[in-house]
Amino acid sequence: MAEKPPLSPAEQALIERIEALLADPAHAANPLREPMAALFAASEAQRERLGRLVHISDGYHLISRDQSQTLAEQYDRHLRRLDKLARISDRYQNSLRELSEALKDAALRDPLTGLGNRRFLMEHIRDETGRANRKATPYSLAILDVDHFKHINDRFGHEAGDTALCQIAQAIQAALREYDLCGRWGGEEFLIMLPETPLEYALQVAERVRLSIQALNFAFMEQEGLRITASLGMALHHPGEAYPETLKRADNALLEAKSAGRNRIGTA
Amino acid sequence: MNALHILATQSTPSVTSDWEQGLLTMQGDSYPENSFEFFGDIITWIERYLKESRAPLRLELRLVYMNTSSVKAMMDIFDMLEEAHQHGRQVGVDWFYDPRNERVLDLADEFREDCSFPFQIAADG
Repeated sequence: MAEKPPLSPAEQALIERIEALLADPAHAANPLREPMAALFAASEAQRERLGRLVHISDGYHLISRDQSQTLAEQYDRHLRRLDKLARISDRYQNSLRELSEALKDAALRDPLTGLGNRRFLMEHIRDETGRANRKATPYSLAILDVDHFKHINDRFGHEAGDTALCQIAQAIQAALREYDLCGRWGGEEFLIMLPETPLEYALQVAERVRLSIQALNFAFMEQEGLRITASLGMALHHPGEAYPETLKRADNALLEAKSAGRNRIGTA
Repeated sequence: MNALHILATQSTPSVTSDWEQGLLTMQGDSYPENSFEFFGDIITWIERYLKESRAPLRLELRLVYMNTSSVKAMMDIFDMLEEAHQHGRQVGVDWFYDPRNERVLDLADEFREDCSFPFQIAADG
């Protein structure tokens, strides 16, 4: 049952006064007593209705407040879940990205020497050929082959051969300029790419490479007093020439250097 | 149908179930084209098990890579377990990872957050 709304002290006093007057037998014959009693009853009924109205209205307020609280909680929960989903998903994505970078690196690198492999070199030769043709800035190319490498392998074993290749790779790289590229072409062959370099300058760099290989000391053949040398074949890219052609000319120059006695540079 | 067995494909993990033992296993990578379809059967199996059986449920996971929708599906599954756990059911997850891939450990740990039921993460082997 709804309660009647609370009254102010003045209202309470008025109601008590009316109740007292209506109850007083002295006024029983008063012609105003009957309409007064009816008016009082109507007022009390009105008051009770008002109380019920307030109660119902408050109830609706409560429900809608509860609902909006539930919605806010659900919203927060979804937000937290979304956050977690994004976090976990990002982690997976990161590890995939790192994996793909590692794979890319592995695909382009020679695992023994750490230099770029043949695929790496091909990509760069292709790019460089495009640039050389567009800008008319020819590059020079050198193919380097370690002299008598088979003898080193046969005489000292493959492990010694591998060590030698690593040392040679380091020596080549150290002798090059910052923007030159070198990689392992295959076996005991290395390829050196000298961008935007005329043959006469390229020859100076190649000579530095040849000398630094010749100067290398190898622990496994110290007692024999032997040296390792390398032969190089060089070619300048001609404007409009396809790169396999340039490579072929460098290869021919290498063969010439070999047949002319090794430990030297041939040019095409 | 109390048995759920799905062979692994390149993009979905293998799934095995044992209703009597209360065990569900998932192993492999998960990046299905339609995650909803793939995980739907798994979620249904778990729902049914939780409803029809009173026995404990254990998930044995060896998941490696997951795409975003698979991550969401796994979160839904863990939420189901959490709710069952709140109602007094005995549920648990054992997530095994290849010790060569420690990243999975961190990821499983992220999943475990907000789970109050037993959730073990251990190196395989």
